[in-house]
Parts: sequence; structure tokens; C-alpha cells
Amino acid sequence: MTTSLETQLQRRAHDLLAEGVVELFLGYRQGSNPLRVAPFVARTPLETAKLVWNAVCVPNLAGTLAKHAGQRIGVALKACDAQSVRELLKLNQLERSRLYLIGIGCAGMADPEAITKAAPGRVTGLAEDGPDLVITTADDVVRRERGTLLLTKCATCIGMPTDFCDEWLGEVPPTPPAIPAERFAAVQALATLAPPERLAFWSEHLSRCTLCYACQTVCPLCFCKECALTLERDHPRRQAREPMTIFAYHLMRAYHLADRCTGCDECSRVCPEDIPLNLICRKLEQDRSQV
Amino acid sequence: MSEPFEPKIVGLLCSWCAYAGADTAGVSRVQYPPNLRIVRVMCSGRVDPLFVARAFEHGADGVLVAGCHPGDCHYLSGNNYAEERFAKFAQLLDFFGLDQRRFKLAWVSGSEGARFAALVAEMTEELRALGPLELKVQ
Repeated sequence: MTTSLETQLQRRAHDLLAEGVVELFLGYRQGSNPLRVAPFVARTPLETAKLVWNAVCVPNLAGTLAKHAGQRIGVALKACDAQSVRELLKLNQLERSRLYLIGIGCAGMADPEAITKAAPGRVTGLAEDGPDLVITTADDVVRRERGTLLLTKCATCIGMPTDFCDEWLGEVPPTPPAIPAERFAAVQALATLAPPERLAFWSEHLSRCTLCYACQTVCPLCFCKECALTLERDHPRRQAREPMTIFAYHLMRAYHLADRCTGCDECSRVCPEDIPLNLICRKLEQDRSQV
Repeated sequence: MSEPFEPKIVGLLCSWCAYAGADTAGVSRVQYPPNLRIVRVMCSGRVDPLFVARAFEHGADGVLVAGCHPGDCHYLSGNNYAEERFAKFAQLLDFFGLDQRRFKLAWVSGSEGARFAALVAEMTEELRALGPLELKVQ
């Protein structure tokens, strides 16, 4: 089934490029190991053979899409990427007439870390078999239900914006009528704590922050040319990493994203210190859903 | 012997009302604590929450943003923007566990000198009880 979705995608991308509907086609290519994919731009019909679609196509393509704004570009979108693209269109960062959006029926992406945990050892292959994922390691073959390995954001997916894509590949997943309550479970738990405990929680996590700004770089909705929050590498405040400097950065980043964050969880994915930045995204989302 | 804790408060005051209110307090010789460092801005709508975050970062224990009463803004709607902005900002402060009492948004008119003094005195007392803003590295 996956191979067919991948082949379908390659075929459509090939045709779009050959017909000249688009100049570029954005998708994923295989990364350095079976659990990694990287954004990839095909420029000629031949290059579309490199496109992949598997169970770990996690990165959000909206950010890469914004970098190529201005060209006629086709893109393969999962539901969460589509939410980000819609937000970028709303903020006039992309031109709808120059985009060709292919929605992909996504059954939720698997968490590479969960996969490594389920199958210890070096993973040499990953395949889909119906509802199961078959993970091949150097000395074992592990079969797990896809649902047990999903990313947290995928387990509580809010679905694709309606009437958004130009065409569909694969099964159209039903859009949940309301945002699943479990999506906010972790934020709710944090909100019930007393403020000093919450402060302790964030101090513990944020004290690991090295101000590398990966969260800001990867965010598809952080598109300012110059950021008011980031400090030069040799800036004394960046080097000293005073707790309040770090708090102020994350506080202001949250404030700047308050009305745009679409909850793609890219920030917590790239964080080298595994700070639960997605909690901040969930909080913003929750606040907006209550307005 | 350690000195008793004196909070540092940064006051971002709108030029037309709150700053004038502080001036009225001074002219009418109303006493209020000297813990407030005043920055005059043209409108409370000019105050970016980043100013508040930076004030905390550079050692303020509390921040007071004050402007005209709703409907009295010299620029018609600046204070409405401020209100919306800081409502969101205060929510986030709370989410990160920073005490809500460290940040205050208030409306003070030019004639309310005594009220301004009372406001500053009250906030100083609160912060004195709360202690310095010290985030510990775990």
C-alpha cells in the first residue's frame, strides 16, 4: 500500500514537472538511515524517482516551501503541513496561485525514537504491512501496530483543512468533528500545578537550553528576516545563559507565535536538549480554541 | 548583616495620563516608595511585551505598565491594543509559572496623583513580600 502511495506520488510529481504545471516539486528523499527522511526538491521529471513516502516522513515541508516562495511549486502535504501552509497563505507569505498542493492520506507518522525503543539495535529497514510496521534490525525483525508508535501530535491529529488541496492521493482521512481532548492532556496537567511548581518544571527543562535557536530556525511560521529575540553567537547574554534570558526568549517566542502556531511540533523535534517545547504550542492552541 | 530586600520596579508610563499622574503625585507631594524606575512612553500601545521581558531579564522584580483609562487614549485606541496584548502576555507569564503579581497593567489618569501613589505603594509591598525574582539553575 505504501509503495503504491509512493509510486502514485512519484508519478504525479513526474507528470506535473513534465507538463510544466510546476517548476519544482517538494517532497522527501531517503535520509542517512531508514528512520530519517529529508526535504527534497525535484527540479526535473527524472529526479522524482528519488521521492519517498513512508511512515517516518515527519519534517514539516511548509518551512521549506516558504524558502522557495515565488516559484511555481508542487508539494506533497500531510494534514499538519497543510495547516501550516494555510497559515502562511493567510499571512501572505505564499501565493496560492503559484502552489500546486497534493494532499496525502496520512495515517499518522511513527516516532523514530519509539521505533528505536521497540527494536533495539541498528535499524536497517522499515516497511508497512497493512496496519503494522515491520522493522528490520541487524539481528531481528520486529512487527508492531502503527498506532502504538505514533508521534503524540499524530495520535491526536486535528485533520486536514477542508477544501484546501488541489488533489488527493490515498485515502482521505476523516476530519475529527472536534479537537480531541487528549491533545491538551499534558497542558491541562501542567495548568493544575501551583505556579511555583510550574516555575520549577520550566526551570528544570529550560536550564538545559543552550540558546541554539534551532526551534526558531525550524519553525515554519517564524519567517521574519531579522529576529528581535535571537542574539549573536558571541553576545555576552547568549554566552552567559542567565536563566531569565532563556525564559525571556521562550516567553517571547510563545507570544510571537500566539496566533499562528499550528502545532506541528517541529520545535520539540529538533531541540537537541529535548525540551518539551510542544507543550507551549499546545497551550497556545488551547487558548485559541477557547476564544 | 544583610540589607532588607528592596524590589526594583520598572514603570512604563504613558506620556498623556499615567506619567502626568505621576507628575501630579509629585506636585501635590504625595509620598510613594522610591522603588519605581519610570520610563516615559508616548502611549501604552507603544509598549511591546518584549520590553517587559527584557526588564525582567535585566533585573527588575516587577513591571508596571500604566496608560489612560479606556476611552481616554490620546491616540483613541492605543490602550485597547495594550489591554489585548498584555492579557495574552499575562497568560503566558502564568503558564511559565512566573508570579502574576510581578506584572501589572493599570489605568491612571493625569489627575489621579494620589491613586498612582497608592498603586505604586501597593505593588511595592506585594513585591517586598514576594521576594526577588530569582530563577535558579537546576
